[in-house]
Amino acid sequence: MSFTDADLIARVLAHEDHHAFGELVRRYQSPMRAFLARMARGDSHLADDLAQETFLKAWRKLNTFRGDARFSTWLFGIAFNEFRSAVRARKEIATDELADPPPEPQTAATDSNSRLRLDLTEALKRLNSHERAAILLCCQNGLSHEEAAQVLGCPLGTVKTNILRGKENLKRQLSL
Amino acid sequence: MNTPEDPIDAQLREENNYVEDGGFNARVINALPRRQRAWLRPVILLGAIAIGSVLAIRWLPWGNLPALDLSASLSFDSQLSQLWMPWMVVILVVASLVWGLVAALQWED
Repeated sequence: MSFTDADLIARVLAHEDHHAFGELVRRYQSPMRAFLARMARGDSHLADDLAQETFLKAWRKLNTFRGDARFSTWLFGIAFNEFRSAVRARKEIATDELADPPPEPQTAATDSNSRLRLDLTEALKRLNSHERAAILLCCQNGLSHEEAAQVLGCPLGTVKTNILRGKENLKRQLSL
Repeated sequence: MNTPEDPIDAQLREENNYVEDGGFNARVINALPRRQRAWLRPVILLGAIAIGSVLAIRWLPWGNLPALDLSASLSFDSQLSQLWMPWMVVILVVASLVWGLVAALQWED
């Protein structure tokens, strides 16, 4: 028998049921860790630390989950906030993240006949964190623009703009 | 007619591989705070009240309390503290015990 997220959440809230929470972690660990790894530009150790903190925070704050959004959307919101806190806390990442995205490599920008193609992973790293987050949430994890705006704490128009700009940037880098 | 899918969307979905658990779930569960024992705090409170009650019965000067004379106490003479102080101690102790008892019985985790 498969429990819904709401069933599991109710069990956690009523009985502090570790098994029920473990099931929620099992369901959502992959998208959270993948999202955070992309946001951390491939640093899987940092991503896993942030993902763990995300789930621990979810455990502590589960009674504030009102159920008017999907549980995954709520989790992405916590994960993104964790990422932002890490960016602020870690100077070495902050310098990197808060600066403008690095310029595209000369080979990709100037040599139109070059066979060199940045793969998507590398291309995503070259987006700024807002564009990267919007694209990952909407295009990879299937969130609506409204849900992404909720997760990122920004207006709907900003999300749409970031997706548009990010995709243009990716297409340019991938020569699509 | 279906519109052709954005190549970026298609690539992103293709690259969205499942991340194997690799012990992650266990690490999260082990890091969760231990389950609170809901009964523990009221039991401690009731225990403290029981001990406090025994000490109060044993040590408070129940037999030597001065008789209350309101007219004398309102005169603010030098005997005021001597008259009221034992009563104040008794009232304070009893009020504390009653408050603790109510708090323990009303405890909600």
